[in-house]
Amino acid sequence: MSTALEKMAHNVQNAPAVLKEIKTRTSRNMIGFFFPVVPEELIYAAGLHPFQIYPHFHETITEADVHLQPYLCSYVRAGWDQILKGRYPFLDGVIIPRTCEAVTFLYQTWKRHNPFRFIDYLNVPWKKSANTIQFFAKELRRVKKNLETFTGKEISRDALNETITLYNSHRALLKKAYELRKAKAPPLSGLAALNMVMSGFILDKREHIQLVEQLLTEIVQTPPLPKPGVRLLVSGGCVIDTQLWEMIESCGGLIVADDVINGSRSFWHVVEEDREPLESLARAYATIPCAFNTSIGDRYEFISELVTEYKVDGIIFAINKNCEAEEFDYPELDRRVRERLKIPTLLIETDYLINMEPLRTRVEAFIEILTPEGV
Amino acid sequence: MAERKKRERPAFNKDVAAAIGRHYKNVQTNKPVAYALMSSNPLIEVAYAAGIQPAFPENYACVCAARHVSKEYCGKAETRGYAQDLCSYCKNNLGYLYSADKNPPMGGIGEPDLLLMTSSACTHYFKWWDLLHEIYQKPLIFVNTPRVMEPDAIPDYYVDFAQREIEEAIVEMEKILGTDISHKRLAQTVNQSDQVVQYWQKLLELQKNVPSPLGLSDLTNALFVLIVLAGTREGVELMKKIYHETARLAEEEKGVLTRGEEKHRLLWLNIPFWYNLKLLGYFEDRGCVFPISDYGKYVWGTTRMDGNRSIEGLARKALGGELNTSVDAHMDRILEDIRSYRIDGVIAHSNKSCRVLSVGALDVIEAIRKTLNIPVLILDGDHADERVYSETEVMTRIDTFLDMLG
Repeated sequence: MSTALEKMAHNVQNAPAVLKEIKTRTSRNMIGFFFPVVPEELIYAAGLHPFQIYPHFHETITEADVHLQPYLCSYVRAGWDQILKGRYPFLDGVIIPRTCEAVTFLYQTWKRHNPFRFIDYLNVPWKKSANTIQFFAKELRRVKKNLETFTGKEISRDALNETITLYNSHRALLKKAYELRKAKAPPLSGLAALNMVMSGFILDKREHIQLVEQLLTEIVQTPPLPKPGVRLLVSGGCVIDTQLWEMIESCGGLIVADDVINGSRSFWHVVEEDREPLESLARAYATIPCAFNTSIGDRYEFISELVTEYKVDGIIFAINKNCEAEEFDYPELDRRVRERLKIPTLLIETDYLINMEPLRTRVEAFIEILTPEGV
Repeated sequence: MAERKKRERPAFNKDVAAAIGRHYKNVQTNKPVAYALMSSNPLIEVAYAAGIQPAFPENYACVCAARHVSKEYCGKAETRGYAQDLCSYCKNNLGYLYSADKNPPMGGIGEPDLLLMTSSACTHYFKWWDLLHEIYQKPLIFVNTPRVMEPDAIPDYYVDFAQREIEEAIVEMEKILGTDISHKRLAQTVNQSDQVVQYWQKLLELQKNVPSPLGLSDLTNALFVLIVLAGTREGVELMKKIYHETARLAEEEKGVLTRGEEKHRLLWLNIPFWYNLKLLGYFEDRGCVFPISDYGKYVWGTTRMDGNRSIEGLARKALGGELNTSVDAHMDRILEDIRSYRIDGVIAHSNKSCRVLSVGALDVIEAIRKTLNIPVLILDGDHADERVYSETEVMTRIDTFLDMLG
């Protein structure tokens, strides 16, 4: 394994410690957020450290049960549980976007119980029209103002433009790495790609750019993966459990593409650099194809392009229990994929801290069916 | 459950039942028909002004649940791959669609000519209506209102945005209809909708009386008028009648229970069990009445409108309902209402497939218990899918709770 990949995996596995170290080293205040639909360029340009909130500690949910019913998304519950338990002492604030019900409505509960200094919410449009984009830009203007009040410092247009350029470079690099997965014998496993993307949710983007560049250099010197395996695409919402990706690939599959929040959905967009920055951010971030804000038609198009470009043999829909938007789209998406793209699919229901073994049996059978005879 | 005592219900219930029958007949005979999302949908009034017949899949799910058909429709949707924990209103609708039932309750809701949707309700409703758009291949007109997190300080640009959304929706509807929607007619429907709201709000005030003039089943019947007939002359006349009958009851100090019978005044949190409304009668038999529910008080009929500023009124309607703001944003109002309605116990429905009314509900319950020292009973269930409802468990818990209340 390349040194860069080892560092990336380490960052993902030890996210809280890494974030704590960043805070100590940089003295920057840290703003967490849910879902990649929050334009973190705003936070970064304010001189703050943005990072995506996930339940990084693999521990049972206890304290959140007082506030959130067990039939709500377990990842949101687990994230909130760990916040309540004080596992993120370095966190200075949060931005909660309008996404699924569990995240959106966490705002009031969070405001009431959180010990942090900054909290804001962000309406993300579902419809893509001139009116909704204009509104989204106004929402960003409000959040920007609130961040300025928090830091006591104006976010200059130049700082925002520079950050947009930096983030575009970062997204372009991630895409470049993903491009390599189109090869017949890709040099990067799905797990490695996941660690690459998710470590970017934690680290400063400048640091992460260096790490991805290092990875791209090292990959050239690394031989392709010995057994390319059956080419798979994983589709779902927050598919953050690295054990799941590891399990799928240990069954003989190779995840060459993904349609998940913590994967390609988070960096597929490009922010225009020659326009009014908040409007550019609004236009770009409104296109992020999450289930809650994207029509079935558009989601199918996104998946279909990935299937063609990455020569996918089969799709695994890995859907978290109680994730309504994903659950809602699945039957129709699945039907279209089977009928129009003529490729097999498998549905697996995942959950926070789920036992992988029962899933393994199903994944093994699926991959076996997809494996050409004599291989 | 033991045989219930027969009680005389207010006469308006029969009028509402007749109105429900007329509505479903209209849905089957009038054209064009628009499936309209119910919750705070500003396009309901626009539809009536435009001569479009709205049909409401959510209301139809309540009807199907009351007729005990919803469980089959939900099951049918599940055989098509829809997860068990999805909203049972949605699953009822999809199951109805996939079942192609020859004898559906009330004759069914047919197929829509267009779809009128707003984002001021549950998040996943967008998915539901997007799916209906795909299935029927009919125009989807979508008012994408923002979620309001601070209901007492709605920014002006939210109202401006919602107004623009409604204006654009009207233009789309006009294109589909091939005719203009009269401003005068829209002002009239908005005024009529406002009159219904006005009577509704006055009606809820009357519920502060002891004994409470109406029970929760009467109120849920009246909700049909508030929501489905919003903007119609029929709605105004019916709600006026409901109000006057209730006012007379209050004046005569009559209620669903007599003053001597009314031992406890309870608050119902969340949507009722539509498949078991007779449960409310059991509470009455035990001397308990529900003067209000949060579902009836904060979700609907919260916004006054003025026909002279129709679009602004409709925008504020879309932004202001509880489903667009969150349960616990209303915590102070709930606590205040518990005091003013002299509530001494709370029944909280823990609704498995309704996320929007669940997130934050536990905080509200905690506040009721701690701030007001009022007992709260949590009942597991679902609004329209009775398969997850356990009669034995629910009744045992209710009996224990009521015994404790004394």
